[in-house]
Amino acid sequence: MEVLRGLRYVTYLIFHPFNGFWDLKHEKRGNLGSALVLVALLSITYILRRQATGFIFNTVNLLQLNIMVEILSVVLPFLLWCISNWCLTTLMDGEGSFKDIVITTAYALSPLILINLPMILVSNVITVDEGAFYYFFISLSTVWAAGLMLVGTSVVHQYSMTKAFLTCICIIIGIGLIIFIGLLFFSLLQQIFWFIWTVYQEISLRF
Amino acid sequence: MKLRKYLIFTLLILVLLTSTAYAEIPYSSYTYDYWGNPVPAPAPYVPTRLIDGTSLGIGAFNNASDMFVSSAGKIYIADTGNNRIVVLNDKWEVERIVDKFERNGEEQTFKAPQGVFITDEEHLYVADTGNGRIVELDENNNFVREIGKPVNEIIPADFEYKPTALVVDRAKRLYVVAAGVNQGLMEFDSEGNFRTYMGAPRVSVNMYLYFIRLFYTEEMLARTTDFVPTEYNNVKMDEDGFIYVTTSTISVYDIQGAVSARSTDDRVSPVRKLNPTGKDILRRRGYFPPVGDVQFYSRGYAEGGQSLLVDVCTDKYGIYSVLDNKRGRIFTYDGDSNILFIFGGRGNRLGTFNNPVALDKIGENFIVLDKSVSGYGQITVFEPTDYGRLVLQAVYYHNEGKYDEATACWEEVLKYNANSELAYIGMGKAALDQDDFYTAMKYFRLGNKRDYYSKAFKLYRKEVLSRYFGIIAAVILLLAVGIYIRTKRTGRREVEA
Repeated sequence: MEVLRGLRYVTYLIFHPFNGFWDLKHEKRGNLGSALVLVALLSITYILRRQATGFIFNTVNLLQLNIMVEILSVVLPFLLWCISNWCLTTLMDGEGSFKDIVITTAYALSPLILINLPMILVSNVITVDEGAFYYFFISLSTVWAAGLMLVGTSVVHQYSMTKAFLTCICIIIGIGLIIFIGLLFFSLLQQIFWFIWTVYQEISLRF
Repeated sequence: MKLRKYLIFTLLILVLLTSTAYAEIPYSSYTYDYWGNPVPAPAPYVPTRLIDGTSLGIGAFNNASDMFVSSAGKIYIADTGNNRIVVLNDKWEVERIVDKFERNGEEQTFKAPQGVFITDEEHLYVADTGNGRIVELDENNNFVREIGKPVNEIIPADFEYKPTALVVDRAKRLYVVAAGVNQGLMEFDSEGNFRTYMGAPRVSVNMYLYFIRLFYTEEMLARTTDFVPTEYNNVKMDEDGFIYVTTSTISVYDIQGAVSARSTDDRVSPVRKLNPTGKDILRRRGYFPPVGDVQFYSRGYAEGGQSLLVDVCTDKYGIYSVLDNKRGRIFTYDGDSNILFIFGGRGNRLGTFNNPVALDKIGENFIVLDKSVSGYGQITVFEPTDYGRLVLQAVYYHNEGKYDEATACWEEVLKYNANSELAYIGMGKAALDQDDFYTAMKYFRLGNKRDYYSKAFKLYRKEVLSRYFGIIAAVILLLAVGIYIRTKRTGRREVEA
C-alpha cells in the first residue's frame, strides 16, 4: 500500500517539482520501495522500448538483444549517478542522505516511463512522415527528466539553482572518475591474478 | 523380396554419398547486411583461367601494372618492367607487342609505362611514366602525338611529372592521374594543352584537429601535416562518359567513422564518380558507403586495416566494381552503391592474388591483373555463376523498367541465397506495385528497408482503417455515449448527496 501510495505521488511530483521534491523528502510522500519499483519499471520500459518499438523507429538488432545487458544499462548509470551524487554532496554540505538521493533520482526519471511507454505503442502505428511527433515526445521526456533531476538535486540538498547545476556537471565528471578507477582496479586485479597464476605454473612445472 | 529392397536402399545411399567432382573455390563470397555483419553468399564468379607472359610465349611480365579492354575486345597490358605494351586478341593470343615507335624517322621507346587507354577508334594512349609524357599511337602503331609535361603558372617548374593512369573522353580531352598530385585529375584539352585540375576531393577537417591547432605555435604548425586532399591512384571512364576515380590514402579512422555513421558524404570515399565539371555524383544509397570491407581487423593484424582500392571497373546502369589490393577482393556495387557481390582473396591458388593491381571486364567475365610477389604478373579470368548472372540480370531489368522480369529474377535469387536483402527489397517493391501492402511490409522488413516499409505501412494502415471504419466508428460512438451517461449519473448522485 505504502508503495502504491508512493507511486501515485509521481503524477503530482512531475508537474510540481519544487513542492513535490520537498514533500517527497520531508512529508515522507515517497519511500525506498516505490523508488526501487520505479527503477524496475524504467528497466522494463527500456527493454520494451528496445524490443517492441515499431520497425520503422527501431534501430536495434533484435537478434542480438540481451535483456541482462539492457537492465544493466539502466541500473548501472542509475547507481553511478547516486553514488557520485552522494560522494560529492557529502563534501559540499548537501543535506540529503544516500536514501534521499536514491528516491529523488528515481522519481526524477519517471517522465521517461510515463512518456516512453505510450510512445512504444504509438511507434507501431505511425510512419516516417509522422516521425517528428515521435521524436519530439522522446526528447521531451529526456529534457523533462533532466530538468527534474536538476530541481531534485537542488531541493534535496537545499542548494541554489546555480549550485545544483554545477553539482550536476561535477557529478557527471565524478561518474567518469568512478568508471576510470573501477577499470584501473579491475585491470590491476587481473594482472595480480595472472602474476600469481604464472608463478604457480612456473613452480608446478618445475617440480 | 525384403533383401532386394535392402540392397536397393544401400545402393541408393552409396550413390548419394559418393562425392561428385567439383572445383573448389579458394575464397568465400559474402555480402554485408544492414547491421554491417558479413553474411555468406553463393559465389557470384568462379576463376576459370590463368594467363601469364610465359604461357603466351612472350616472356614473363615484369611488374605489369595496368590492363585495358578496348571496345573491339582486345586486351592491352602495360608491361611496365619490360617497357612494352602487350596487345592480346579476344582469344587470348598475342596480336602485337608495342615496345617502340617511329617519330619523325627517329625510333623511340617507352620507359616504365604504367597506364594505357584505348579509344573507340582503337588509338592507343600510353602513360609513359618514366619519360614523363603521354604518347598516342594509332591502330597501326604509327605515332600520332605526344603530350608532355603540363606548362602552367600553377604548376611549379621543378614539378616532376609522372603520369600513371589516364582516360580520354569523346571530346578528346585527357584526364591524367600523376604521382604526387593531390589537386585532382590533370585535365588536358584536345590539343594537349594543360587546362586545369579537376575533381579534387573535398577536404574533411577533423573538429579535434581544428580545435587543437588553435593553440599551436607557428613552429608547431609548420611541423604538422596540412589538411590536403587525397591523391587519386586510378581513373576509369564508364560508357556514359563519367569518370570513376579511386584513392587508397584515406585513413582507417575516417573510413571507420564513415561506416559507423553510414555516411553518404563524398569527402570520405575511396571511390568517386565525377561529372565533367569534377563534381562527385556517385549515388550512395546503400546501407554503408562503398569503402570495400565494412568490418575488418584493426591495423597491426595480418591483413588488417581498411580496404585499399586500386582500380574500378564499370558496367551498365552505373554498376561498378572495385578492387581491394590489401585483401585481394572485388566488390561489386549497383548504381545506388548497394553491395551486390564480394569475392576473391589473398593466396597462391587460382582465384586468389598477392598484389592485384588492375580490374577489367570482358563481356560478362572479370579479369584481374596480379603483380604477384615478385612482379611475375598473371591474369585471372572469372566467369559468372548462375547466381551471379541472376543478380546482375535482376538489377538490369530493374533499371530497364521491366519490374515483372526483375521480380522473377529476385525470386530465383532467393532460392540460392535466402540472406539477400536486395532480393527481399526487390520482391517488396513488386508487392507494393501490386497493392499487396502487407506482403510488401513483410519483404521490406526482411530486407531491413525502413523507408520503403514506412511507405507500405502507410498504405496498409489506410486500407485497414477504411475496411474497419464502421466498427471503429461504432466503438468510438459507444464509448462516447457510455462516458456521457456515466458522468451524468455520477453528477446526479453528487447533487443528491
